[in-house]
Amino acid sequence: MSGNPYVHRPTASPQAAAEWTQRQILMTNLRTVAGRAYPRVRGLAREKSWLFFEILLPFLTTSAFVFVYRALQAPPEYVGFVVLGGAMTAFWLNVIWMMASQLWWEKSQGNLELYFAAPMDIVAVLLGMAVGGMVMSSSRAAVVLVVATVVYGVTFAVDQWLLLLAVFFLTLTALYGLGMVLASLFLMWGREAYHLTQFLQEPVYFVSGLNFPVGRLGMLGALAIALLPLAVGLDAMRQLAFADAAYPVGTPPPEVEALILVVMTVVFLSLARWMLRTLERLARREGRLTIRWQ
Amino acid sequence: MTADAPVAPTAPPALGSPEWGGFDPARTRGRGLRDLRRSFMTAARLGWQTEANWTDPILFFIYSVAKPLSTTLIFVVMIEVIGGASTREFRGFVVVGTALWAFVIAGIAGLAWAVLDDRERYRMLKYVVVSPSDFLTVLLGRGVARIAVGGMGAAITLSVGVLALGVPLDAGRIDWPLLLPVMLGGLVTIVAVGILLAAVCIQTRQESWSYPEAAAGALFLVTGAVFPLSVLPAPVQVVGWLTPLTWWIEGVRLAVFPAGPSGIGGTGSAFAAFTGRVRPEPHEIVVALLGTGVLVTLAAIVGFRVSLHRAKDRGLLDQTTGS
Repeated sequence: MSGNPYVHRPTASPQAAAEWTQRQILMTNLRTVAGRAYPRVRGLAREKSWLFFEILLPFLTTSAFVFVYRALQAPPEYVGFVVLGGAMTAFWLNVIWMMASQLWWEKSQGNLELYFAAPMDIVAVLLGMAVGGMVMSSSRAAVVLVVATVVYGVTFAVDQWLLLLAVFFLTLTALYGLGMVLASLFLMWGREAYHLTQFLQEPVYFVSGLNFPVGRLGMLGALAIALLPLAVGLDAMRQLAFADAAYPVGTPPPEVEALILVVMTVVFLSLARWMLRTLERLARREGRLTIRWQ
Repeated sequence: MTADAPVAPTAPPALGSPEWGGFDPARTRGRGLRDLRRSFMTAARLGWQTEANWTDPILFFIYSVAKPLSTTLIFVVMIEVIGGASTREFRGFVVVGTALWAFVIAGIAGLAWAVLDDRERYRMLKYVVVSPSDFLTVLLGRGVARIAVGGMGAAITLSVGVLALGVPLDAGRIDWPLLLPVMLGGLVTIVAVGILLAAVCIQTRQESWSYPEAAAGALFLVTGAVFPLSVLPAPVQVVGWLTPLTWWIEGVRLAVFPAGPSGIGGTGSAFAAFTGRVRPEPHEIVVALLGTGVLVTLAAIVGFRVSLHRAKDRGLLDQTTGS
């Protein structure tokens, strides 16, 4: 028994061996987070084409929106709005493509049953995906932000750095929380998930006011601020990053929007945890959710 | 108990040996156009089923038009936010550009995603490649369905533009002799760009799902789809001239809005500086589209053949990846 490397302590029976201490559970989940984040972080350097397709080309897309405003002879802060929106798209794309669709994708690959069979929390798996995804997307967002700022001469005027940083991190937390909720839903919706992923791109860009102040959308904008972390986070960041600009009225001040993001974070993470638990129970009991092509 | 004598399997009549008993090498060459047509039709039917049979028609319709319509609305709101005298004129410019762009995204993504779908999701790519069907023909068939969906999105976007956004489209003033060849040339070009992206996706991994959109987004910048090229630096405008999609969009705009603003020309544009005219003539557009389109199509076919050869050589056709 003592020669078995998988047994951490002498136990009287398999049942006793399955009784893990809190420390063992925590360490296993932390290792799960690190393990699931690893391929995404390492993948940054391993896929060379990614640099071209995921960083350079999206920068050009953002540039197209900049030139629309230039063609319209818009005030310079609108170019800044576009640049900030372009940077944030990296996170939204990551959330819908590599969080929301991921469990369904893993199911198609045949990995999902391994996840449910392994002695780890499925929430830790998704957290690892989120951490890796954030690192991955941050590089793209940073490149878009820095290069576009330099190339298009965007001038930021920040009075409240601390609040801006808090809003940014709250936006990411709420976004990835929403990604975890969607991951569970998409897994249950099966094939429709793939199409819904695409459906969630441009319509969400529009209602989130990715390239213009969301307040201009009236009631639709208000609804987006209440429901979509991208909309509320982007609006708050714009207000904070362009403090000297004449920002259109119609949306709450950034402090209130930060509170909305806190509420969203709590709601989405709690909902995700509950949904994943339910999913795990269904997967174990019915044995269908994890099977490919079902 | 006696053992039955072994019975030789009998091939179906169509697959049987020739009467003289030998091997007919003509069979390896297939039946030419007839086989190609059959492969194409089967692939197109499969593509349509893959695209459309996951939901009911109403949801499918909403899904198909939501994307191009949202893109158009983003630009329309951007124009409204800024306002100004040229708002109405520019709105028509943008609506046509974004409606046509629905074709571009659908065409490029359709072909590239057919490769990714078959390799990563259904794991059938290697079987399709080794089947007697011509792989490029199969791929084109798979892409047709998505182009049809893109066409539906474009038509709805244009309709919403005219009916709800006040785009001044007069059906009686459309220049059909220009519109038809330009549309045909544009669609062929889109398919060619799609083949190029498919060639790229054969070489790359799972995350290539976003590559077609990224490529389309980059082309968005240099084709004058949503803003006149004259706002770009002169060298970038010249890059735009080398892109067939630029001439396609310009041709369609000129055919639909003869008096509307030009995406290639205009005051201060490189085109005006180079030719002394504010916009290209219809025959120039057709010739330029044809010339650049032929080059892109040839490059696409060669690129695809090279990519497929390399993929066979390196065993990339059955690689599945995940991250």
